[in-house]
Amino acid sequence: MKQFDVIVIGGGLLGCFAARNLCRWKLHIALIEAREDVCTGISRANTAVIYPGYDHRPGSLKAKLTLRANARFGTLCEELDVPFSRCGSLMLSFGEKADEVLKKKYENGRMMGVPGLRLLSGREARELEPGLAPGVRSALYAPTAGTVNPWELGIAAAENAAANGAELFLNTRVLAIRQIADGYRIETDQEVFACRVVINCAGLQAERVQEFLLPSPVHIVPDGADYLILDKAAEHKPTHIVQYEPEDGGKGLTAVPTVEGSLLLGPSERENEIPFAVSEKGLAFVRERTESVLPDLDLGEVIRSFAAVRPNPQKGDGRSIVSFVIENPGPGFWSLIGIKTPGMTCADELGFYIAEKAAACLGAEGNEAFCPIRKGIRKARNMSPEQRGAAVRENPDYGEIICCCEDVTRAEVLEAIRRGAATLDGIKRRTGAGMGRCQGSRCQQKLLALLAQELGIPEDAVTKDGAGSELLGGGRHED
Amino acid sequence: MKTELLIVGAGAAGIAAALSAWEAGCRDILLTDRRECTGGILPQCLHEGFGLAQYGAELTGPDYTDRITERLEHTGVRLVLGTEVLTIRGDKTALLSDRSGLTELHFERLILASGCRERTIGSLPVAGTRPAGIFTAGQVQEMMNLRGQNIGQEVLILGSGDLGLIMARQFVLTGKHVIAVVEKESRYGSMARNYHRCIVPYHIPILYRTTVAAIHGEGRISGVTLRHLDSGAEERLACDTLVTALGLIPERELVRGLGEPDWLFLAGNCHRVHDLVDSAVAEAEAIGTRVGGEFA
Repeated sequence: MKQFDVIVIGGGLLGCFAARNLCRWKLHIALIEAREDVCTGISRANTAVIYPGYDHRPGSLKAKLTLRANARFGTLCEELDVPFSRCGSLMLSFGEKADEVLKKKYENGRMMGVPGLRLLSGREARELEPGLAPGVRSALYAPTAGTVNPWELGIAAAENAAANGAELFLNTRVLAIRQIADGYRIETDQEVFACRVVINCAGLQAERVQEFLLPSPVHIVPDGADYLILDKAAEHKPTHIVQYEPEDGGKGLTAVPTVEGSLLLGPSERENEIPFAVSEKGLAFVRERTESVLPDLDLGEVIRSFAAVRPNPQKGDGRSIVSFVIENPGPGFWSLIGIKTPGMTCADELGFYIAEKAAACLGAEGNEAFCPIRKGIRKARNMSPEQRGAAVRENPDYGEIICCCEDVTRAEVLEAIRRGAATLDGIKRRTGAGMGRCQGSRCQQKLLALLAQELGIPEDAVTKDGAGSELLGGGRHED
Repeated sequence: MKTELLIVGAGAAGIAAALSAWEAGCRDILLTDRRECTGGILPQCLHEGFGLAQYGAELTGPDYTDRITERLEHTGVRLVLGTEVLTIRGDKTALLSDRSGLTELHFERLILASGCRERTIGSLPVAGTRPAGIFTAGQVQEMMNLRGQNIGQEVLILGSGDLGLIMARQFVLTGKHVIAVVEKESRYGSMARNYHRCIVPYHIPILYRTTVAAIHGEGRISGVTLRHLDSGAEERLACDTLVTALGLIPERELVRGLGEPDWLFLAGNCHRVHDLVDSAVAEAEAIGTRVGGEFA
């Protein structure tokens, strides 16, 4: 039996940041994740926006955390060496009713103290963002909005937690939790753990995890959405996050100029039958919305579509829960069970919030040795020619390009594998290899060979994203 | 570093341009390629059919590559392999990267012969999951013929261009089952020659006016939903591999945004997609002769 002070269940954004913040106290911490890597569930796909926080109820936990998180996000990303672009956002109105909605949001935001908010006329909005449809009547400009790559952020937090002593258990699925004399006993498909505090960050599975202990008053209904990605070379891309909510309700559009340089368009709204399955209607919806809001974009430059899933927390009567829900079903047991938008914005704040509770519960001492700094993989594409030349002289692998679309070198791929990438998606999330316009059709085969070589496994055991997703052999393995 | 003529891409077009520029009198030519060997995609094309006009024989891709590479060896063209051109700037400077370092190269003329890339399924509005086991036809050709990687067993092919049909035949010949070739038009997209050589003798079914509407499978692909475009009817089909042959896109990202400066020339498939290597070569030779003549 493995003994810890605190066990975090679930290696998504929230779990990784809970683990990172727990390290601020002298605690023996484990992070348990069912899959082969961190950030493979909800955290692998979302709108990538760091919200300014103008539409929350003043005084609510969500409002407080979002404002603080947004103000601190630049510092957080510097600590974790993660690219962050504070590009600002424009929420658009195309009608009188929407003008009023924007005014209310503006007033609410001012009351909350969101910095820099401005109501713009349609003309002013188009001056800032020339690709907007001519019908724009007004816009709410929030200069503090930004964007980050969700999985880069989560991986960075996990690495930082591990560097500060948290232990990471991958491929470990929780099968049962029982309350014992001085805490909890957690049975998994790998080994048995015991701990005094449990933090349940299991995302879509959070309800299931909590119900090992007590029936959950909150139900998680998966909420699906579809997205498109436009090639970074596409013309007329907006430079701000552009948001549009239709007057008659329903889903609008968010266009995000990503830190990678591509443009993310979405989300559509629908009930998802299969998690992470794209719906054709959803894609058509995003395309239509894009054509009406950003008419100059060439949708022939789409390089990928994907589906995201969000946990939509509901009460027993089926009503959606708007605020962040943190359940406390037993002593020293917390469930971050209903954290949707802006969950990524607040991930570090929520992590601190829950770590503080855990530390108080255990009477833990502060950990002066905690180091918030994590260094990312040095990316050749971010170097000046001089720096890059020096990097190649030091390590020739920096001179060998593996992914030509995203300019990823062999050195970066090898470093990603060294840091724990065990699948093609693991490499993609750590380096960007395969994310570009050829979608890995020129580098997958090289990455496959490199993974096999570095992990010491046969090529046909290499997977895209875990067991069952082998890249070679197909279903029958007849060769 | 300096050169009079930089040629990017040592496939059939790049080599043809280099040979004719040399013959026209240019004595300072640098020919680069990101791969470790010459020939571009030719070394992975094990089928015959290359060089009928040029050599009067139907050669395989590797044989054809050997012939042109040998001719190159009799010239003073400097060949630099395993080298990526990272950027081309408007002041006629290229930034090259290889395992020995980064090189800034000034050139007078540039012939871009960077071939093309394949359109991928990501650009289509296909529903469903995004599992493993989906490849482009050219990718599969490289995996099977150069890397000895076995891609799968029950194969569905989307798109009936030349590459799709050539791979359909190779799948059959290597003991795989080709379930069908799916084509949205009412006629195959390849040259008639490849249809008659690759499809007819092996009784491979082509489903016309049909497309893949959705992909199924959680880890590895387990099947697709086909849609018959005229009736709108859909059917589910099991497969463990989906190979796409959705067409080729001229690869000229390196010079995107540079406009059409008088020092830049496009040769071969990066200019326009050619059906035959002979035609790409003829185009590249004409450009090589013209540009090389400027330095004679």
